[in-house]
Amino acid sequence: MRLACDTGGTFTDLIVEDDHGNLNMFKASTTPQDPVLGVINAVELAAEAAGLALADYLASVDTFIHGTTHAINAVITGNTARTAFLTTQGHPDVLVLREGGRQEPFNFTVKYPEPYIPKALTFEVPERIGADGGILRPLDEEAVITICQQINEQGVAAVAVCLLWSVANPIHERRVAELIERCCPGVVYTLSHALNPTIREFRRASAAAIDASLKPLMGSYLGSLSTRLNNAGFNGRLLVLTSQGGMIDADEIAQSPIRAINSGPSLAPIAGRYFGQNAMSGADIIVADTGGTTYDVSLVRGGRIPLTRDAWIGAPFQGHLTGFPSVDVQSVGAGGGSIAQVDSGGLLQVGPQSAGAVPGPVCYGRGGTQPTLSDACVALGYVDPDYFLGGTMPLDKNAARRAIEEKVADPLGMSIEDAAAAIVTLATENMVQAIADITVNQGIDPQQAVLIGGGGAAGLNSIFIARRLSIPRLVIPEVGAALSAAGALMSELAADYRAVEFMTTADFDSDRANRILNGLKEKADVFLAEVGEGTFEPKMQFSVEARYEQQVWEIEVPLPVAAFNSEADINGLVESMHQTHERIFAFRDEQSAVEIIGWSVRASCRVHKRIIGRMRAHVKEAERAATRKVWFPVSGAAEASVLVFAQLEINKRYSGPAMVESPFSTVVIDPESIFWRLQDGSLVIDTQIKGDAACP
Amino acid sequence: MPLDLPALDGAQLAVLNNRFEGIARKMANTLLRAGRSGVLNRARDFSACIVTADNQLLAAAESLPIHVLSGPDLMAAAMQQFHPQLRKGDAFLHNSPYHGCSHPADHSILVPVIDDEGIHRFTVVAKAHQADIGNSIPTTYHGTARDVYEEGALIFPAVKVQQDYLTNNDIVRMCEMRIRVPEQWKGDFLAMIGAARIGEREVLALGREIGWNQLETFKTRWLDYSEERMADAISKLPSGTRIATSTHDAIAGTPEQGVQIKAQVAVLADEKKIIIDLRDNIDALPCGLNLSEACARTSALIGVFNSIEHTVPKNAGAFRRVDVRLRENCVAGIPRHPTSCSAATTNIADRVCAATQAAIAELAEGFGMAEVGAGLSPASGVVSGVDPRTGKVFINQLFLGATGGGATAHNDAWLTYLHAGNGGLCFIDSIELDELCQPIWVRSRRLLPDTEGAGRLRGASSLEVEFGPVNCAVDVAFVSDGMLNGPKGVRGGETGGCSRQYRRNRDGTLVEVEQVNVLHLHNGETLVSITSGGGGYGKPSERDRALVRHDIAEGWITPERAKSVYGL
Repeated sequence: MRLACDTGGTFTDLIVEDDHGNLNMFKASTTPQDPVLGVINAVELAAEAAGLALADYLASVDTFIHGTTHAINAVITGNTARTAFLTTQGHPDVLVLREGGRQEPFNFTVKYPEPYIPKALTFEVPERIGADGGILRPLDEEAVITICQQINEQGVAAVAVCLLWSVANPIHERRVAELIERCCPGVVYTLSHALNPTIREFRRASAAAIDASLKPLMGSYLGSLSTRLNNAGFNGRLLVLTSQGGMIDADEIAQSPIRAINSGPSLAPIAGRYFGQNAMSGADIIVADTGGTTYDVSLVRGGRIPLTRDAWIGAPFQGHLTGFPSVDVQSVGAGGGSIAQVDSGGLLQVGPQSAGAVPGPVCYGRGGTQPTLSDACVALGYVDPDYFLGGTMPLDKNAARRAIEEKVADPLGMSIEDAAAAIVTLATENMVQAIADITVNQGIDPQQAVLIGGGGAAGLNSIFIARRLSIPRLVIPEVGAALSAAGALMSELAADYRAVEFMTTADFDSDRANRILNGLKEKADVFLAEVGEGTFEPKMQFSVEARYEQQVWEIEVPLPVAAFNSEADINGLVESMHQTHERIFAFRDEQSAVEIIGWSVRASCRVHKRIIGRMRAHVKEAERAATRKVWFPVSGAAEASVLVFAQLEINKRYSGPAMVESPFSTVVIDPESIFWRLQDGSLVIDTQIKGDAACP
Repeated sequence: MPLDLPALDGAQLAVLNNRFEGIARKMANTLLRAGRSGVLNRARDFSACIVTADNQLLAAAESLPIHVLSGPDLMAAAMQQFHPQLRKGDAFLHNSPYHGCSHPADHSILVPVIDDEGIHRFTVVAKAHQADIGNSIPTTYHGTARDVYEEGALIFPAVKVQQDYLTNNDIVRMCEMRIRVPEQWKGDFLAMIGAARIGEREVLALGREIGWNQLETFKTRWLDYSEERMADAISKLPSGTRIATSTHDAIAGTPEQGVQIKAQVAVLADEKKIIIDLRDNIDALPCGLNLSEACARTSALIGVFNSIEHTVPKNAGAFRRVDVRLRENCVAGIPRHPTSCSAATTNIADRVCAATQAAIAELAEGFGMAEVGAGLSPASGVVSGVDPRTGKVFINQLFLGATGGGATAHNDAWLTYLHAGNGGLCFIDSIELDELCQPIWVRSRRLLPDTEGAGRLRGASSLEVEFGPVNCAVDVAFVSDGMLNGPKGVRGGETGGCSRQYRRNRDGTLVEVEQVNVLHLHNGETLVSITSGGGGYGKPSERDRALVRHDIAEGWITPERAKSVYGL
């Protein structure tokens, strides 16, 4: 039996897959003061459902896969270790200046961000390596020892070291590490070249700073999780999810905790890839996860999940850029809690302000007074107020209607239903723009893609999003309400290794290239040898970070070969660059040589034979009315059939309007859609037929 | 407006605005990701916007302020004037400062969006600062050019470069014969065409989906809404008139005392209007600092938008409430050919912004903004030479860093603001990337303590950058300002650090160099560039004591300065 547990901001999701492939889903509240408790609570729910004591239940679990927001929360709240930053002399302000850039050039209410590590804890190291790896100025070891003494005096617990061109020659960073170990016992450190080999010193520095600052915290968190699970009776393998969409053993995460920083949203495309390919083989896949406050979009392009180094914690240019390759996730402030209001000029706005979980939407009856997207969905009849979370949480529909009337309908001079439909339409538009941004950046045409709706609220407006973007097929997996946790069950053990070496195809050195690739392969071999018993299907995928001459930004280009043995192999690389570039930017530059600035390999292997099982049908589904009155944007009122998700027949064609319900979600299907259920349990909705609801 | 047009409610208005902004953003993303030159990629010195058929700015992607507020409207008008018969498949290259472009370095592609019935509905504009434009010296900012002839830029006043979606390669070849590192220009040209065509495609799709009449209604309603928001924002200011000045340092071709820019700002709160009069300024000068009409209008508008509530949409509707008064042949007005406007987006434009926002600050507590650090320092200079590693010629603008942010009533300065026309959007170069791309090394880059514009809210500190060639000689071109006239504070705030530039000889000695220069650096020499800081807002003695202590701890100021200036 295996468990996948994803600790989110509000809920801790648990998916259990038993040895026969039956899935079960549980949700417990997240406990920020002691997040391990929330994990144990969720497991207790599962044990209770199985009618077993916790110890007996855990004893039968062979794999426990864990994703956590603990690291990212610590960064956001500044609750990390006191960390020092060591930089090349003459360059103390790497973390202050960052890479420049700003959003909203006229908005001065946004403060210039503080550096991740204060200037007061920044130390300049006398040394300098040049671009060619040569030593321009030798390391002044005495000065480093003096810095170490200051570090000890100032109560520093962690050190980030980022020296210029350490990726071309790491000798100084390594020597600094030896001196820290000698002079600062008990202080943990991160070396930039080892953690995040890339040129652009700020990205290495930022990654090293975040990583070092998390080491003490994540070491003890994972230690505590492991100990408490073991004490409770678990003796299987504890794996932790990474923001590269893979998983690794928990003790390895403690060595480089930045890898776990955004693991939740990074797992959604893993699940999306599986369900998307089942629904429309060969198509690109857009994976959207609707939460209470944010809407996260990620992609699967040609079967691959694109990574980016432009990964921000917090808002772009205000938060912290990790600079560390992560699954590319575009996030906008739109979700069930997004607040609707009308401004002084009579314009409707939805979000980015959110009512959050507390007080939450008006219909929750927890003191919220501002109407939200969720309230609009209740008012339109999309959500049955008596069947929210399977009826465990009754909603106040009248309060929702009154708030919409007062705050939106009256100011705009329209009916409550029209106002609610307008809120849904505008929220939909905000989500559509998030998809438009990431698809244009990654070169995907939504009209040839499939949309996966994840998150408990996804079903409410995904049909409108799909119509607006002319996405032909929308898929709501039966595990959609816990898509990241489902992705966790499917993920592979994976590690990435990178090297920074500049090379151009105008003057390609196959021998040097092969030495670089061989060096990466050796590391990957070691990883695959150490992953342990029971793993299978080991894979290695080589890539380069490449660009045309004089371009500034690189793109990730898959390498068709693992070694260059002929001119044809080099041409293969060039062609792969042209294809990738054309796909993303719609043109190829045959005249330009290809410049490579980074090389990488991903080593991965599978752990479980079964990719994912099927949801166990719920024993007791409440008696439901056969139809319900709902409102759609433009087309207006309709009598929609109410169907139980788990009872839909496989491959039978149904037609809208319909509300397909499960205890975790409602899927809204507009009047003109055809839908059916797949073998894997997913609900597929075909939107080829154009609906009026697409138009504002 | 015809009465039979369909109505639009506040929700539909919001959705359609979102759609137009989405199109502009898609254009901008395409341009950013596919462009070649450093100035485009790293400084984000580009823009994308949509102009109505009657040449009003409707929607812009988040773009460089100096590019889009006014300019695209004037360029689109010139396109219509020169080409009354617009056809589907046309595209126009435009960089003429005499016909609406900001300055010759900003090559722009205009594509008229023509519907299936042949009616011109909108114009999409993609604009990008080029690494080179064929000037007589290797820089796109020729500060001392006596006129456009000495400047040497090829000028394209809305020249048709595509017909039936096919490029006129005669024009491309002309550019290739004249522009340094032509493949870099060609790459940016293709990126701009690509971005404009994406914009065209998307607007056409929107018109087909929504209906052109509905989009007409939207245009009218959206501009009216924006005007109303602007009126609302202006009505929060007190009425009154202030004159503020800001002075550009003297360089070759300017009066000895420099170029004083005077902005008379009148707030008519009752009428909900602002009048900015720039007519009382000197005539155009025999140098490259003169403003184009686009930059004169835009820099005044930036001063206004920096000073008021930030949520007002920036489009032609809002502009109706701002009357920018210009005169012909003025250094900050409407230039006559062959006046050179080579550096129109930066130096004098920054002075117009500064004077405008300072006047508003002095008029109204809680509004306005201190002066922003001026000029293009050598750290933002254009380097060129022959790369000894490849034997190839190179030219590129560096963005090794600029600070310059002025304090506002809300916050301490945005540190990496660069200059008023950029608004802080600029990226700052990675030292490693610069050392890889050019044969240079960067010895140091650090903020200087005690250079902030002191105030209740403080202006940016100066940045010192030292760099030089590696195994070769390089030319560095720059048009620095703010050596004599540092960024002034407002409402009792103090002046921020002044700019300086030195050459460090091989023996380590420092020699001050001319601030407008194409400096030839030999191997072993370095250039030390100290950038302007930014002015403070409010009296330093009123600064929160905890913040002063934090400033000391973080090295922004020394304890001595905390005592003498902040009274701690």
